[in-house]
Amino acid sequence: MAPSGFVGRFFIAVERWSSSVAEHAGQLGLLAWNIGVACVRLRVSKRDILRQLHIIGIQSVMIVLIAAALIGVVTSQQGGYQMQSQIPLYVMGSVVVESVVLEMGPVLTAIVMVGRVGARITAELGTMKVSEQIDALVSVGRDPIEVLAAPRVIAMIISMPLLVAMANLMGITTGMISAQYTLGLGSETFFYGARLFWHSYDLLYSLMKALVFGVSIPLIAVHMGLRTSGGAEGVGRSTTQSVVFMTLTILVIDALFPPLFLN
Amino acid sequence: MSVAGNGSGAAIEYRNVFKAFDLPVLSGVTLSVEPGEMFALFGPSGTGKSVLLKTTIALVTPDRGDVIVGGESVYFGGRDALERIRRMVGFVFQYAALFDSLTVFENVEIGIPEESLKRMRANEVAHRVSESLELVNLDPSQVLGKLPSELSGGMKKRVGIARAIAGRPEILLWDEPTTGLDPVNTAAIERLITQLSDELKVTSLLVTHDIEGGLEMCDRVAMLEGGRLRFCGLPEDFRASKDPVVNAFTDRKAATAALDTLEIT
Repeated sequence: MAPSGFVGRFFIAVERWSSSVAEHAGQLGLLAWNIGVACVRLRVSKRDILRQLHIIGIQSVMIVLIAAALIGVVTSQQGGYQMQSQIPLYVMGSVVVESVVLEMGPVLTAIVMVGRVGARITAELGTMKVSEQIDALVSVGRDPIEVLAAPRVIAMIISMPLLVAMANLMGITTGMISAQYTLGLGSETFFYGARLFWHSYDLLYSLMKALVFGVSIPLIAVHMGLRTSGGAEGVGRSTTQSVVFMTLTILVIDALFPPLFLN
Repeated sequence: MSVAGNGSGAAIEYRNVFKAFDLPVLSGVTLSVEPGEMFALFGPSGTGKSVLLKTTIALVTPDRGDVIVGGESVYFGGRDALERIRRMVGFVFQYAALFDSLTVFENVEIGIPEESLKRMRANEVAHRVSESLELVNLDPSQVLGKLPSELSGGMKKRVGIARAIAGRPEILLWDEPTTGLDPVNTAAIERLITQLSDELKVTSLLVTHDIEGGLEMCDRVAMLEGGRLRFCGLPEDFRASKDPVVNAFTDRKAATAALDTLEIT
């Protein structure tokens, strides 16, 4: 007999949610393993990786730099507004650099990449799935993991730290320029403040985050794309779920990073 | 349940294949296709014809049962056996399933097994691709550099067939190859199926709704209904069958009458 009432429905929902999370986690683990095996067996074409590097990395540079430039300006201006006449202005250098390097650079770049690359991967593979192109690939003896998944994941792993490094640089530069024009803070004073609280580890922390995001985004995107079903509507549903899943994953990873790596 | 063929030395043998998604689709299908034979599979929509075809190369995994291709088990023979089976089989998809981002040349080239590609020189690969396109009556010089989006529906189907035969398979599986085509293109594709089966000496298993075409082209035919084999035999026996479900597929009046009495999904 099916349980009735609020409590019964609650437990059924929890059970469904848990089994769905476990199913996704299991499939993601298997996907990651299979991609690893394909890489170790040298089954991934260099030409495919280079093509994906162009699409995922090079074509994302402009949007990432624009987002980073705006982040730098906003951080600098809001910081300046909060600190006016209370804290020495040179602290602004540290606020901008640390905010951009530790948080804004990696996270905002990852969010941009979810929209530009993650959604694209899921929609592309989802369309291939529902139009039997994945079946066609299998029918001619090719492994979709080797041909489609691995090049995208590898390209993203290579691109993400580079893009975050560029975003950090751009955010700091525009933050400094903004502080100069709006607060009258010279670049020497800005960098004096920045150096005062800077640890070399911060950059490593930023790039570690980038690397973890660079693995998570394409893995989820590929996983959601390959399990798409139900025609055009299914592709839309899959892509939406994928974007939500990727965004939440980034925020959860972001929340886990400080207790794991900053204390 | 009728069993087609004797199964010994069969090119393809389906052994008690069961498959359910939300509802049962295949409920114990046993059928064999002999080497060199042209075999057509008919049946109402949603009765599992394409699913059965896809179990031949493990594009869909059955819940129970097995498929034997060229004497090797698809599901219990291991990865190497499955790879050998996939090299042996060419699959023509209902809507061609061409890779959108690849040119016609690349789409056909991908049909050549990787092992063969490694051994072949570039000019041999180009020759094989051109030859495959010529076999499906396409002019390579006109289409090689085009993307699938630049081709008509009939041309896409032909490129899909060229990809399936590029690896010189021993078995061709055709999943409703004439669906969505006008009568002229349908006739052209049907002629092509017969021509390719003769020229390449392949075993063909054809899933189709074009009953007349299938009865004319094929050595034997079978009919799936409700996930089970309803008929299996010679085309003339199919035409002469007294089974109302079979009749509904050969006679429009019988089909209209069947609507009232049969549960056809």
